[in-house]
Amino acid sequence: MLAQVLFSGVALGSIYGLVALGFAVVFKATDVFNFAQGMLAVCGAYFAATALSVFHLPFAASVLIMALASSALGVLIYVALIQPLSGRSMLAVIMVTIALSIVLRSLIEIIYGPQGRTLVTPLPTGVFTWGTLRISQLHLTAAVVSWICMGLFAAFFRFTSVGLLMRATADGHEAALVSGVNVNLMNRLAWAIGSLLAAVGGLFLGQLQIVSTDLESIGLLALPAVVIGGLQSIPGAVIGGVLVGVIEQLSASYIAPESSDIVIYALLLLILLVRPWGLFGERELGRV
Amino acid sequence: MSEALAASTTRTAPARLGRVLWAALLLAFLAYLPFVLSHRAAFGFRLSNVQLLNLGLSQIDLMLIAMLGALSLNFLTGCAGLISIGHAAFYATGAMTAAITGTLWGWPFPLVLLAAALSGAVTGVLAGLPSLRVRGLYFVLSTLAVHHVVIYVFLQCQLHYFDVSGVPYETAKLGAFALDTPIRWYFFLLAAVALVYWGLGNALRTREGRSMRAMRDHEMAARAAGVDVRVLRLKAFALSSAIASTAGALQAYFMTNISSEAFGLDFAIQFIAMIIIGGLGSLRGSLFGAAIWLLLPSIISGLAPQGGGAMATLVAEHKPQLVQLIFGLMVIGLLIFAPGGMAGLGRSLRVLLFPGARR
Amino acid sequence: MTPLLSIESLSVSYGRNSVALDAISLAVPSGGVVALLGANGAGKTTLIRAATGLLDFHGGAVAAGAVRFEGRPIHRMPPHARVRMGMAQVPEGRLVFKKLSVLDNLMVGASVLPAAKRADSLASIYALFPRLQERSGQAAGWLSGGEQQMLALGRALIGQPRLLLVDELSLGLAPLIVRAIYQQLRSAAERLGTAILVVEQNARLALEFASYAYVLDRGRVALSGPASEVADSKEMRDSYLGVDS
Repeated sequence: MLAQVLFSGVALGSIYGLVALGFAVVFKATDVFNFAQGMLAVCGAYFAATALSVFHLPFAASVLIMALASSALGVLIYVALIQPLSGRSMLAVIMVTIALSIVLRSLIEIIYGPQGRTLVTPLPTGVFTWGTLRISQLHLTAAVVSWICMGLFAAFFRFTSVGLLMRATADGHEAALVSGVNVNLMNRLAWAIGSLLAAVGGLFLGQLQIVSTDLESIGLLALPAVVIGGLQSIPGAVIGGVLVGVIEQLSASYIAPESSDIVIYALLLLILLVRPWGLFGERELGRV
Repeated sequence: MSEALAASTTRTAPARLGRVLWAALLLAFLAYLPFVLSHRAAFGFRLSNVQLLNLGLSQIDLMLIAMLGALSLNFLTGCAGLISIGHAAFYATGAMTAAITGTLWGWPFPLVLLAAALSGAVTGVLAGLPSLRVRGLYFVLSTLAVHHVVIYVFLQCQLHYFDVSGVPYETAKLGAFALDTPIRWYFFLLAAVALVYWGLGNALRTREGRSMRAMRDHEMAARAAGVDVRVLRLKAFALSSAIASTAGALQAYFMTNISSEAFGLDFAIQFIAMIIIGGLGSLRGSLFGAAIWLLLPSIISGLAPQGGGAMATLVAEHKPQLVQLIFGLMVIGLLIFAPGGMAGLGRSLRVLLFPGARR
Repeated sequence: MTPLLSIESLSVSYGRNSVALDAISLAVPSGGVVALLGANGAGKTTLIRAATGLLDFHGGAVAAGAVRFEGRPIHRMPPHARVRMGMAQVPEGRLVFKKLSVLDNLMVGASVLPAAKRADSLASIYALFPRLQERSGQAAGWLSGGEQQMLALGRALIGQPRLLLVDELSLGLAPLIVRAIYQQLRSAAERLGTAILVVEQNARLALEFASYAYVLDRGRVALSGPASEVADSKEMRDSYLGVDS
């Protein structure tokens, strides 16, 4: 039984890790704590659902459209909402992302209605049995794809010259400007990537459950994930996501089904009090 | 920075007279309003629903309770500079205290309110404790975590002692006087709001109040000037949470039944939206923000028939979402274009219309 | 001949009331070496920011006048475009990418070159500063002050700029190291044909290095001319040249 729970935990956690990675990329690049990341995952799911169910496009095309649409959405958000607020207080930026999530949520509910939709995809939904373990093929696919995406991103970040410029921008804005990096472009790229990663996560979450705006609360689990892993650390975000997934499944199975939220947030509080820079972050934070 | 009803000593006599007349007018309006809304008529003339903006007295009462929340949050965030997204938790604390002391133990209403305020203050101090360890973004996140913890406790309390559908509350009674009609609630709440508004305004004018704002604007300078920021922060939290907690208890009694879902994160976010729309740091702005939050749904309902069939169906089917959408867009628009909120706009407008007038 | 960089009657202010530069005119000829001197707060860094496009970042704005590169007005160009045009900078405080390796730092600078040319340019920077090659895998934040200065220079030079703006090279460094770096800078610049505008508080060193000099005082050009004349001038000797090493 434990192995079963751990497997679901790691599988779900991989999806959270993906969403959290998108979150961390945006944070490292533009210093914005994007409270709307959960909603961006939902938007991704809805883009996919629209392409599949409304326009009846083949799966591959739908995924492509979802990728393009969510990247564009990310850039749009940066240009319209974040850039105008550069230099303003943290409350202003936090509030604009919170307001954004409200706006996105109400727009989706107005356009699509508050009921959920099912995503019909060719993703495998069967179950493997391996000894006493029942492995959901969907969970497995989600985990594998999430890790592939994260791997692709890591390779991009580490080995390409655009990735290098993004790393440089995250290291220091002024230094990047001085060195001829088009920081504006890097920021837009970061938001496109952040939104895209969230969308892929949303696609899987939507398939695992149902596509509705309630998915937002799941996507929001990326927030504690990133903090637990370490706000300034990109690998930390991924590991934080996996941890959150595992803890969620463990507490749901062994304590009580609704206890997972509280366990995670209690852990968040504990980390903030004891080790605010997270498990893998560095010690550069605001002191008293 | 309180723009309370206090008159300035530098005013000339005619300006003073004007001020007094406005105040009298406002008082008269406030006194007559509940009757207008109850009887749906003013000075003998029947008023249609649209003219009354579809408002009922109960909604005004809810608005008054919300004003308490907005005032207390603005005090904490706008004046003391402490960003908190966990304000709903203090409402929940008050509701929970009221459930235990009022419904379970049968305490009289005034004592219940006192207990709510005290428990709110304690919870506030606890919630503010992380600020001694971390600041900035990390502190905001701690308020998020505190929110979840408190709501969970409330839910457990609700499930253990009461009912999964909600916690019931008795009728509020001040001695022999029962608050059992919207009109009675109205005058009671109006007094409460006035008291809190005046009290907070006063608190801001004291030395501590000014130190608080100095701390908000430039913490290092304040500390260098000898301000004990740690104690001040906890005091701000205590006061703000006590008020919010009392408001929570009032809301519980008013609604006569409350469940933990009422205090979700959305609820806390509404208050932040209110103070941003009203204007951070402006007590008067908080009142505007809460009023707009109340008026918006009614205005939308009122305007819907004008837009024709499509508009009307849109509103009918998706009214709550439409309200949220417009609210969210307002916040975004104000944040980008008018950072001072309504209060800031009001100031600019006043300067525009009356150049040379006191700001 | 059109100067490479030409500043014409430039006035700059930070905010509404503080004028940092007042109708300054300055020129850097192609391949020339110009020194910009003056006390703290005279406006030297502001001038550099106006040229490189970082005024906005620091809250300043051009109130009047023009900045031209090869005759073209550039004050609407964003900073990265100016770098691509051939104007590189070694800013005050170095501003290396602390968490990136030395190699990565240099490659960021090399990104303005077409991919085929980058390896060669890197090799020439390593030839110029062998220390950097030794430390190529290390995170830049761990380098010593002098090494970071070399890195900042290398990052600027690797893009083969036509004009190099160096702000306060000597700050925080021992005189021997500063001299050595200046020598390397001179040889690199001669080889590449790069013009240099060097901002320095260490006036003596700068005047030995440059062929032309401007002295700023409270936002205005107080003195200008060939470096030797400026060095011998009464003002220099009276003011702060006398106390220098």
